[in-house]
Amino acid sequence: MPLTAQVLTESSRPRGKGRPRTVETAAPSLVELLNLVRTGAANTRQELERQSEFGRAVVADRLTMLGDLGLVDESELGTATGGRAPRLVRFAARRAAILLATLDQTAIGVGVADLSGKLLTEHHEAADLTAPPAELAERLTALFRWSMERHAPQGSIWGISLSVPGAVQGATEGDFLTATPPVLPAWEGFPLVETLTRDFGVPVWMRSSVETMTMGELHAGAGIGTRSMLFLKVGRRIGAGIVCDGQLYRGAHGAAGLIGSLPVTSGGRSGPLDALAGLDMIQSEGLAAAQDGRSPMLADIQRRGGEITAIEVSQAAQTGDPASVAILTESGHLIGQVVATLANALNPELIVLSGSIVQTNDILLAALREAVYGASHPFVTRDLRIIRSQMGSSAGLVGAARVASEQLFAPAFLKEWVMQGSPLSYPAFTALQDRLSQTASPPPPPRARNGQELPR
Amino acid sequence: MTISGLGPHGERAAPPERVILLPDDRTAAKAAGWRVAVVLHTLESDWAKQQLAGMMGIFGDCGAAVIDVVDCAFSPDMQVSELDRLISQSPDAIISLPVANEQVAAAHRRVSEAGIKLVLLDNAPTGLLPGKDYTALVSSDNFGLGKIAAKGLSAHVPDGAKVGVLGFAADFFATNEREIAFTKWLLVNRPDIIPRIHRFARIEDAAAAADDLLSANPDLAGLFVVWDTPALAAATRLAERGATMPVATVDLGEAAAIALAQGDSFCCIAAQQPFLQGIAAAQTVILCLLGRPVPAWIALPGIGVTRDNVVESFQTIWRQPAPREVLRVLGLSRGK
Repeated sequence: MPLTAQVLTESSRPRGKGRPRTVETAAPSLVELLNLVRTGAANTRQELERQSEFGRAVVADRLTMLGDLGLVDESELGTATGGRAPRLVRFAARRAAILLATLDQTAIGVGVADLSGKLLTEHHEAADLTAPPAELAERLTALFRWSMERHAPQGSIWGISLSVPGAVQGATEGDFLTATPPVLPAWEGFPLVETLTRDFGVPVWMRSSVETMTMGELHAGAGIGTRSMLFLKVGRRIGAGIVCDGQLYRGAHGAAGLIGSLPVTSGGRSGPLDALAGLDMIQSEGLAAAQDGRSPMLADIQRRGGEITAIEVSQAAQTGDPASVAILTESGHLIGQVVATLANALNPELIVLSGSIVQTNDILLAALREAVYGASHPFVTRDLRIIRSQMGSSAGLVGAARVASEQLFAPAFLKEWVMQGSPLSYPAFTALQDRLSQTASPPPPPRARNGQELPR
Repeated sequence: MTISGLGPHGERAAPPERVILLPDDRTAAKAAGWRVAVVLHTLESDWAKQQLAGMMGIFGDCGAAVIDVVDCAFSPDMQVSELDRLISQSPDAIISLPVANEQVAAAHRRVSEAGIKLVLLDNAPTGLLPGKDYTALVSSDNFGLGKIAAKGLSAHVPDGAKVGVLGFAADFFATNEREIAFTKWLLVNRPDIIPRIHRFARIEDAAAAADDLLSANPDLAGLFVVWDTPALAAATRLAERGATMPVATVDLGEAAAIALAQGDSFCCIAAQQPFLQGIAAAQTVILCLLGRPVPAWIALPGIGVTRDNVVESFQTIWRQPAPREVLRVLGLSRGK
């Protein structure tokens, strides 16, 4: 990219009097044209001229610059409609890659996406999020390096996007993180964001798992083309993602949809929805049913030395165990009551359920549907679809990719780096790197020995 | 036996018992008279032959005609053209083992878009989703296989030694999981061992990859190869160079079983259960054609095999007697 060096040199000169140089005024038009191409709104020079209202010479000049920066590709020809075939203008989505991770209570997932947010690979494995954070960071780093080796050979990574199990305080729109926000008590004091930024030399974004899964479902799953959607994640905690007018609604502090803390009543007990309908309740009720003889199937699992988790209760319910069916039905009804309130307030066209239990069980979904239909205004449920997610944990990775790609190319951010051809040259980011390079790395987890090599 | 891995999209495994057929299911399937096609990476391997044997029995019992069994010879291009050819024949279902990731994803999506039920074996190309682009994935617990191999090999490797890992260069769910699990098990349980990873693109390149690995690490004290055919080639090449070392791999093929019994280099094999996997895949096809819900990921546990249990493991896995050479080496067959 010869232009990069040239632009950097010119930009670094003090500005003189007289007319501004092209490189100084080009950024806004480059941003507009690149985003028209990137979003697919225009893919020929003629369409770009029409949509941007820039003249032919300006479009030609800016496309040459974007081509030299490696951000667009004009090597393909389109279909001729009477004359010469137009040259297609394509976003160079493979110019760089984004590293992704979903951190769940019981699993971590890692992936690599291109700059359009398309997932190139993914891997999921069991993990314990209550383990020391240094251990988690070490595992994440090892899996990132493994993924990079397979899918980003030139080391051209432009960002890391993390999906975490809780609302992310301080993650305002458009900003990459400069410090680790408080997410889980177990992580307190551990500089996860700082470690990843220093080790990989890229900006880090972070969103709650419900937010990323909602984004994933909206852009690549059942929500494609949907303007209003409710996304529900049923795990140990129960959260909702809200899509209004085709956009994720995050609220004032990114805390929209924390429905798990809403009070509900079940069997004479009152408490938050998380406690009375989440996986912990399903597990503890399953254990009780095994022990008091209500569930011979769960008792048998226990007698054979097996552990009873919410998954076992779910599988037992699916095969007809009456006690397990009752447990999941109660959970579905309680969640459904809360969702009905949301549905009446927001009138979504689609409700998507996700989570390991929902993915493998029809009973909870059926009970939730029953509760929502029973407690909603007929207009609200007239065309309402309530389905389960088809994306599994991929929704979180796809959504995390979407978060990073939207932030990288958000006009205000893009304007600051497009002339350099890489967001890694963004002044605020280079300043962050300088600051982090002067601080010490956190110590390795206790079990690591000196000289040990991580899998590469 | 527990499943230690997660599915390609983070799914929890469902056991093969979830797709058992009831007599009513078989009766309904026979009345329907479905047409099914099978597309495999190869038909040459013992693994592929056993998969087919497992499938054919179930399809026969259910009156489903297998109209084609395709050998893709590990070629993504051939798989794409064969899938398109099969789509034009409109079978009711296709069982396919995707031989690559991105290169074959669109062709598999076209199968589902044509209204043909698609059950995948061992690999789900990135971007394809269960319930939307395919019905279910049936595979071994490949993460568990990697762990079994690491545990088996580590007992033969001294403190602080280097261990070679020969991975598959293609982006393939099953072999990726084995490689990741192998290195993770070492990291957690034997952090003194230094893994050295190298990858081969084709089976024919495995011996050369072992050469390269040994040249870069002359002090290599053990080797893991992600399946048995390249493992045999790699072990032979290392032996030719005078570097006999403990080898662990996945799949108890006939030649690998003989090598394990001989005990020269092979010390542990994490075995899949291809016959049972074939049965589970065929049952999944029948259930989804009957309109029954099926799990997104059905996983079969692996079996740890050493010289001590190679005979009974072979019988369990292959449903046939262990090779005569295995019995002879172990002193169980005393004839000539």
